[in-house]
Amino acid sequence: MLKQVFNLTLLQHTIRTATPLILAALGGLLTEHAGMLNIGMEGMILLGAFFGVLGSFFFGSSLAGVILAGLVGLVIGLLFAVFVVDLKSDEFIVAIAINMFASGLTVFLLRSIFGVKGAFSSPDIVPLPRLKFPGLSSVPFLNAILNNHSIFVYISWILVVLIYIYLYKTPHGIWLRASGEYPEALETAGVSPKKMKYISSIACGVLCGFAGAHLSLGYLTLFSENMSANRGFIAVAAIIFGRANPIRTFAAALMFGFFDALGIRLQVMGIPSQFTQMIPYIATILALFIVTKRQIAKVKKNKERDSSAE
Amino acid sequence: MNKKFLKRDLEYILSLFLSILVSLLIGAFIMIANGRSPLLGYGALLKGAFGSKYNIATTLAKTVPLVLTGLATAISFSSGIYNIGGEGQLYLGAFAAAYVGITFTALPKGIGILLAIVAGAVVGGLYAYLPAILKVKYKIDEVITTIMLNSVAVLFTSYLVNYPFATTKGKMGGTEIIAEGYHLKRLIKLSTLNTSIFFMGFIAIIIYYLMEKTSAGYDYKMVGQNSLFARYGGINDKKQMIMAMVISGALSGMAGVFEVLGVHYRFLQNISPGYAWDGMLAALIVKNNPIGVIVMSIFLGALKTGSVSMENATSIPSELVLVIQSIIILFIAGEAGFKEKFKELNLKRKSKQKVGEKNA
Repeated sequence: MLKQVFNLTLLQHTIRTATPLILAALGGLLTEHAGMLNIGMEGMILLGAFFGVLGSFFFGSSLAGVILAGLVGLVIGLLFAVFVVDLKSDEFIVAIAINMFASGLTVFLLRSIFGVKGAFSSPDIVPLPRLKFPGLSSVPFLNAILNNHSIFVYISWILVVLIYIYLYKTPHGIWLRASGEYPEALETAGVSPKKMKYISSIACGVLCGFAGAHLSLGYLTLFSENMSANRGFIAVAAIIFGRANPIRTFAAALMFGFFDALGIRLQVMGIPSQFTQMIPYIATILALFIVTKRQIAKVKKNKERDSSAE
Repeated sequence: MNKKFLKRDLEYILSLFLSILVSLLIGAFIMIANGRSPLLGYGALLKGAFGSKYNIATTLAKTVPLVLTGLATAISFSSGIYNIGGEGQLYLGAFAAAYVGITFTALPKGIGILLAIVAGAVVGGLYAYLPAILKVKYKIDEVITTIMLNSVAVLFTSYLVNYPFATTKGKMGGTEIIAEGYHLKRLIKLSTLNTSIFFMGFIAIIIYYLMEKTSAGYDYKMVGQNSLFARYGGINDKKQMIMAMVISGALSGMAGVFEVLGVHYRFLQNISPGYAWDGMLAALIVKNNPIGVIVMSIFLGALKTGSVSMENATSIPSELVLVIQSIIILFIAGEAGFKEKFKELNLKRKSKQKVGEKNA
């Protein structure tokens, strides 16, 4: 039985299910560095999934779907920035509005454009291309896990590296981080923290749009109501778990993707999957707890050292 | 009452009306874009919400969970602790009530109902206690923990009703029907409106006095607050924060209890279509004013009920009201910012004028 659950297919599924988490989390960690936690990613992913299908269906091209999904993400990201940065609205309230807007609008459009309730699928929706690396096909283990995935799987991995380099090795990335941590200092240096916040929010929207497109065009080609299914919140969990570091967040997203894939397999076999599904949420609370406890202990230690030095 | 505060109050109510009006206009525009008449659409909506005794009853039935979760939001937000976990607390409270209702079947009617309500309140309150302690003791952001705990509660109850407590009659993701003695009486034929609305009224009065009494001066009220969204301001009394959070959780838990005792007579794994979010919306719109919460809950309940009739009459999908609601909340979220920008613009124009006069 264990062999039925833990096999190569599980790892293959892990990679598949982790991809939207990775894409969204990469976007969210950019806004996190710019000082904004965006729980509106849930809605952005959902919008991306819908408009991905819409674009692919009407233009007969998955690229059109991806572009449309990215554009919608861009608009929502811009909206988020306008409200949070310029109008100084509370980021959580705006995010909640975005989530509500997304779930309302997608169902509304699903019914008024496609005339269906629940889900829309059609052979005219063109799926995203899958990549086959001929060099890999002769390697038995890796071929099964890594080869023949939807294109965003590979793009997300490349983005992890690129965003890491961007954040820590380029001046622009350093500005972005400063816009969250030391906005005044950045201002004095002649860079507008506002601008950096806008850039991060827009990038986050686009990446969440892509995450949605991967969901609806990557393997299955369909849109169903609320198909983001909490992935935006799990992405937030991955960011917090990975402390907004791209590599660590990537690892967290992979881990959460693994539990997601595991849960689906358990469910198919009639074993309760709810507990595996809970893992990202509980892990995040525990991680927050452990990190703050450590910090408190550190502060205490420093105090003791200071007082003994006197 | 201070006159200046009153003026600010009026100003806010004015911008509130404006926000709702503009949102409804956007809704009308969407209807036109869909080739439907907004007059017919909104007419059907209004009729569906208030057109007959049955319609009014249905609207009020929808109002009950919104008022409770709205007050839950109001009491926590106005104490400077942000309970976004209403949905999870509602699920656990609802399950607790169902558990009592299928376990203690021999209890006398009144006692059983009270026990179910208390059980739901305690479970909801305890579930809110956890993030409250994490916030006060360890400064862990309660917004994040309560969001995470929402999913945990929904998953946990889903496990309970699909495995250990699953009904033997059919596969539906629900518990058995609760004992007859737990069913709250229906008030209007065919509508789900039941006696829980009296419980709700009673609870609302208690919460109103609690918020009035415990508020030092005007902290809790709409008037004294510069901004609802000043998340890092507000009252910082730790004890009060924990209390507010626990009461908030208890209220959300009770919202779940009444869905079980009054509407479904069992716990269902999808028992709430996001009541806690709508309740939160109601509280946000009126800046946590308890009376305002009730008014807004009726408004939102009417939108929900009416949207179904609108759909039947004009085939405009009922989800349009979700879009309208989210636009209202966006406007409200940006209200302070809009005002500020507007004043800035005004000032600039005036100073420009002055410069112009001088030059002339």
